[in-house]
Amino acid sequence: MIELIDVYKSYKTGYYEVLALRGINLKIDRGEFVAIMGPSGSGKSTLLYLIGCLDKPTKGRVIIDGEDVTQMNEKQLTEIRRDKIGFIFQQYYLIPTLTALENVELPMVFKGIPKMERKKKAEYLLTLVGLKDKENRKPNELSGGEQQRVAIARALANNPSILLCDEPTGNLDSKSGRQIMDLIKDLNEEMGVTVVLVTHDSSLKVYADRIINIKDGQLC
Amino acid sequence: MLIELAVRNLKRTKVRSVLAVIGIVIGVMAISSIGIFGESLKATILENFKDIADEVIITPNYIHGYDSIDERTIEKIRRIPYVENIYAVKKKSAFIYYKDKKTYTTVYGMDEEDTKIFKLEKGSYKGCLVGKNIAEFLELRVGSKIIVEGKSFRVGGIIEREARFDINPNFAVIIPSKDFESIFGEIEYAQVIVKIEDLQYIDDFKKYVDSKINRKDNKVSAFEMRTIIERINEAFTGVTLFLMAIAAVSLLVAGVSILNIMLMSTVERTKEIGLMRAIGAYRETILKIFLTEALILGLIGSVIGGSLSFVGGYLIDMMILHTAKYVFQPSSLLYVFLGIFVGISTSLISSLYPAWKASKLEPIEALRYE
Repeated sequence: MIELIDVYKSYKTGYYEVLALRGINLKIDRGEFVAIMGPSGSGKSTLLYLIGCLDKPTKGRVIIDGEDVTQMNEKQLTEIRRDKIGFIFQQYYLIPTLTALENVELPMVFKGIPKMERKKKAEYLLTLVGLKDKENRKPNELSGGEQQRVAIARALANNPSILLCDEPTGNLDSKSGRQIMDLIKDLNEEMGVTVVLVTHDSSLKVYADRIINIKDGQLC
Repeated sequence: MLIELAVRNLKRTKVRSVLAVIGIVIGVMAISSIGIFGESLKATILENFKDIADEVIITPNYIHGYDSIDERTIEKIRRIPYVENIYAVKKKSAFIYYKDKKTYTTVYGMDEEDTKIFKLEKGSYKGCLVGKNIAEFLELRVGSKIIVEGKSFRVGGIIEREARFDINPNFAVIIPSKDFESIFGEIEYAQVIVKIEDLQYIDDFKKYVDSKINRKDNKVSAFEMRTIIERINEAFTGVTLFLMAIAAVSLLVAGVSILNIMLMSTVERTKEIGLMRAIGAYRETILKIFLTEALILGLIGSVIGGSLSFVGGYLIDMMILHTAKYVFQPSSLLYVFLGIFVGISTSLISSLYPAWKASKLEPIEALRYE
């Protein structure tokens, strides 16, 4: 389902070139729950963004559902992100001017789904994450845990096959963090969504089927 | 929902949006008000010429050696289709005496019926008519007796001062044709003013003049008054557009303010743009959101500015022309729409760069932006 073949990624920061990933080879199967763990600066987020088609490798190939995304143009990458991938970020990144319901609708707006259909779907997804009664609230009227739930509902809007989670509990207290992780695990088990979780919190290991450790841009 | 999103983004920075709208309102108001004023000025001037628009003036062709128009030619002109009326004018220069004053001026011989093309300030069309300047110079009143080449005339009416291109009555004395002949003898006509039934027939009339009168030799020249009116029209439209261009500077300032707030908005919303790109928004979608915001600002500002320009036009007209009767003429509306169009275009053009910049953001860099 996801395959990385000899992937390198380097960045230019000022005069220096930083080699963030050095020859990564990785295969993740459909329905798997994989946790990528490593210290800060190890390259785990870079790896996640490459899988999420938000960035392109300097060298090597990234294959998603049998398609080499490194050969795709900007428009095709946007469509892959929209249709196949759901993102959950540490900072939630909800649009502050939109209500919870509208935030969930947004990826469907970009896909051109009719208004009634997307509203119904968004309501269903908010029910799924336990926020049906707060659908008309703006993000600043929700707690951190609730905001992350809205972000999860949004990530599921276009029925993605892959859920990419970048430190999803990083900004939450332990109770809310546990609830969020339970929810992600349920989605993985009940809906068969492939989950790739990036974290440095070793307590989240228990949720994963497989742990991948990364250090200095290399798997270990 | 993208329109809704654009509206809410504008509401998020309410003060900034309101200030941008005020800028557009002022710019559009300045442009359209000046447009309305220019149009009113033109209408005021053209009003003086509206009676002569359908006139063609036939004069002898001096270059070809003709210094007068004979009776036969007059008859030919009268028979041309489309002619509503003709005013044949005889003209000489003579000394005019009143009490101990004298002047040397133009004397026209015209029938009483034909003199009605002039507006009188005082008196009636009976007897001799004098132009306003002559009346002032010789201190004439209705009933005064003047001497023209030894013959006495009672002033029947004083002609209103007006700028005419056919006959200039201000410095003239107009006496009945019979008296003119008895003083100056049987001379031929100096010019013929032809009223055409309808403006659209003027060209056909001129063709007839060429084929019936000028066939063998170019005896007469035909000059249409419409040409002068068209020139005035063109000149004033040019002046109006020039004034509007000066007023457009204020709109330029408004445009720069929109550019500024949109650029600020791009920076402030970098993470949001990154997020939208990450979850499946095309570059064009981001472009559309920003352009929609500018369009909304431009539309609101321009429509308010356009409506208020009637007030502006009214005030300028009252101040300079002392009348507001031309403010609501249909052509004013044209300038209001032009102002609105320029206002909206300015907003859109100003936001092109920020919108393009926003759409070019790489999602990963935008999300990491601090």
